[in-house]
Amino acid sequence: MSVPVEATPIPTVAPEEPAVARGIVKTLRSGVGQGGMLLALLLGVLFFQITTGGIMLRSLNVTNVFLQNGYILVMALGMLLIIVIGHIDLSVGSVAGFLGAVVAVLIVGVDVPGLGHIQTDPILAVLITLIAGGLIGGFQGWWVAYLRVPSFIVTLAGMLLFRGATLFMLGGQPVGPFPESFRAISAGFIPEAIGSIPDPFGPKDIVLANLTNLPVFGDLKLVLPLGGDSLQLTTLVLGALLCAFIVFLGWRSRREQVKYGFRVPSVRQFWIRNALVILGIMFIAYRLAGYKGLPIVALVAFLLIGLYMFVTMRTVIGRRIYAVGGNSKAAMLSGVNSKLMVFLSFVNMGVLAALGGIIIAARLNSATPKAGYGFELSVIAATFVGGASAYGGVGTVAGTVIGALFFGLLNIGMGIMSIQIDYQFMVQALVLLVAVYFDVRGKSRDA
Amino acid sequence: MKKFLSVAILAGALVAACGGGAASTAPSQAAASQAAASVDPASQAAASAVASQATAGGLIGIAMPTKSSARWIADGDNLVASLKGMGYDTDLQFAEDDIPTQVSQIENMITKGAKVLVIAAIDGTTLTDTLQKAADGGIKVLAYDRLIRNSKNVDYYTTFDNFKVGVLQATSIVQSLGLDAGKTGPFNLELFAGSPDDNNAGFFFNGAMSILQPYIDKGVLVVQSKQTKFPEQIGTLRWDGATAQARMDNILSTFYSDKRVDAVLSPYDGISRGIIASLKAVGYYSADKPGPVVSGQDAELPSVKSILAGEQTSTVFKDTRLLAKSAATMVDQMLKGGTVDVNDTKTYDNGVKVVPSHLLDMVLVTKDNVQKELVDSGYYTADQLK
Repeated sequence: MSVPVEATPIPTVAPEEPAVARGIVKTLRSGVGQGGMLLALLLGVLFFQITTGGIMLRSLNVTNVFLQNGYILVMALGMLLIIVIGHIDLSVGSVAGFLGAVVAVLIVGVDVPGLGHIQTDPILAVLITLIAGGLIGGFQGWWVAYLRVPSFIVTLAGMLLFRGATLFMLGGQPVGPFPESFRAISAGFIPEAIGSIPDPFGPKDIVLANLTNLPVFGDLKLVLPLGGDSLQLTTLVLGALLCAFIVFLGWRSRREQVKYGFRVPSVRQFWIRNALVILGIMFIAYRLAGYKGLPIVALVAFLLIGLYMFVTMRTVIGRRIYAVGGNSKAAMLSGVNSKLMVFLSFVNMGVLAALGGIIIAARLNSATPKAGYGFELSVIAATFVGGASAYGGVGTVAGTVIGALFFGLLNIGMGIMSIQIDYQFMVQALVLLVAVYFDVRGKSRDA
Repeated sequence: MKKFLSVAILAGALVAACGGGAASTAPSQAAASQAAASVDPASQAAASAVASQATAGGLIGIAMPTKSSARWIADGDNLVASLKGMGYDTDLQFAEDDIPTQVSQIENMITKGAKVLVIAAIDGTTLTDTLQKAADGGIKVLAYDRLIRNSKNVDYYTTFDNFKVGVLQATSIVQSLGLDAGKTGPFNLELFAGSPDDNNAGFFFNGAMSILQPYIDKGVLVVQSKQTKFPEQIGTLRWDGATAQARMDNILSTFYSDKRVDAVLSPYDGISRGIIASLKAVGYYSADKPGPVVSGQDAELPSVKSILAGEQTSTVFKDTRLLAKSAATMVDQMLKGGTVDVNDTKTYDNGVKVVPSHLLDMVLVTKDNVQKELVDSGYYTADQLK
């Protein structure tokens, strides 16, 4: 009776100190649990940095990556739990569209005969919408968990149901615009509490190399992604705090493992790994600080990523979801209420779909009848590319985040390269297929 | 193992990306060399550039709604050709009717340093924040064919005179039924309108009703279904022909089992074809039951054939080549700092401001003038219409 649990990286390290280079490769490979995709992500960034002549890593563009993919990231976290527990949710796009319409109608208001024009405060409207999302998720989860209708069917029905409900709600017309306070969810940045300084690397791009007469691409240049106008200090400080927090957690867990006699990576390797993490976080913080600071939608996404990492790895409920997904019967026999776990996963998905719908409505400043079409595909693709298994029981938050960012990177990079939408679809298809193929093959070799 | 596979993944992606880049570059190069006689040589270099190497004029971002309609592909190509001819570099993107994709594409154009954005919005209400970013960067915005709503950052608008499109459609009905010659019917009329989320749909409909309403009030035209309210009763979401066909099916079975429909107001050829298919299914277009008058718009090839076959009565032809030319001229005028040629500063209120507009004229095409308007003007070849 084995309950497959996702492999947490417990590196087996030779006693002698490895070379720094080997340490870096090792770290990238084991990474945060999803090494292959992380490396692919970094190579992709480098590729686009060159092919776009340095635009890829400009402050504005790094900010755009988060603005453009915030809602996908948020919903992918919910989809991860659904897929890990062995189900699928095809309705997320429609549900997000519908709840975007709900929040829009609540905020913009409706004319009620006899009562006049009734509007809702944006904060209240958001709360109501999140609760409505939970109820919708619960409704679908109830059909799946307790009435034993396959989730594919339930959520296919949900997809149609909420697409219809959106049209009904909006009467076929867009609803908007919204007040500034609501739009800030998607268009706003954290307020600058400290001040700003000029960029120490100067105001201009630093060109490392000029590549001329390349086949296909012609002339390109490699631009060091540094330099800009001014830096928002609050964002840099938040980045530094996050780094300190991650190092602290890592050090504490290493100390505990030592206490229980586990083999742990050497101190040197620990610091190489953390130096890379710090470098990554501070670089993103530096780029965001070079535009308008940390976008509110990115802050929301980061907080949720942290929360779901904690829930999936450190809490009873999180581990039970993996147990049910790995082997539902075995989990039930060991006293896990499988049905409740499935039900809760759908409630969770509903709430996150609501948040996704709110984010996209705020971003477009309008709830439209077509909002949410096709979101489910982006969300599901990101989750699978991030290493979740279609058979359940396997998948990590970090992998899902990398998967979502990888798709976001591809879209924005190809967009800047002026590659047309038809080619973009085909590239996305190829990436999905190849990534999952290697994942499946890797797993069958391990087994 | 893991390292190998990740490299392989990326290699696959990159090979595909390169292939895409190469393939998408080729046609534009061909287009540039075609135009080379009249164009300065710099445009050829511009056509092959992947990144934003600015030519003399600067980069113009062009955001079009979808590649699923030949009309928008032609609009995009015509815009690129005209702007390249004026010495500008262009970035043309289609969003496949997906709103977040279009928003992202426009943001990417801003990142790339476009000087002017020419935008045909999928949904005109969804771009306020994006356009704020453009305005922050000093980028000017020209709304192309579809008005962008709720934003003060729309500098100009160019489109066809949409109210007049509706007027022409209604005129076709009035003339074909002989109402202008004094016939009093009563004739049975059914009304179809465009997509409720498209700002133009209301202009078409109001234009048509400005002609038809007096006849309805006099009882000369009778709407048997009593469905006259736009958008909730007669709107056709996404201009979808299948949606219109289903609605016509229902109208015919509910209200016309013992009556004959004499005319149908249709705002767009795709909808007209859906309506005609529905009519055929219940026996219209036969010797004892001739088809009603059906209007249309856009001169789409299947509908032009339908007109020649005596089914659809008319279509309103908007020469999108002229629209692209008008847009390119306005872009040029904006960047050169001269006065921009507008001919309407009152009609197009986007909810925040009245957007100065340049409106173009269009013609009503019937069986009689297909040759003159569509073939002689080079829009279609005679072979295409066979």
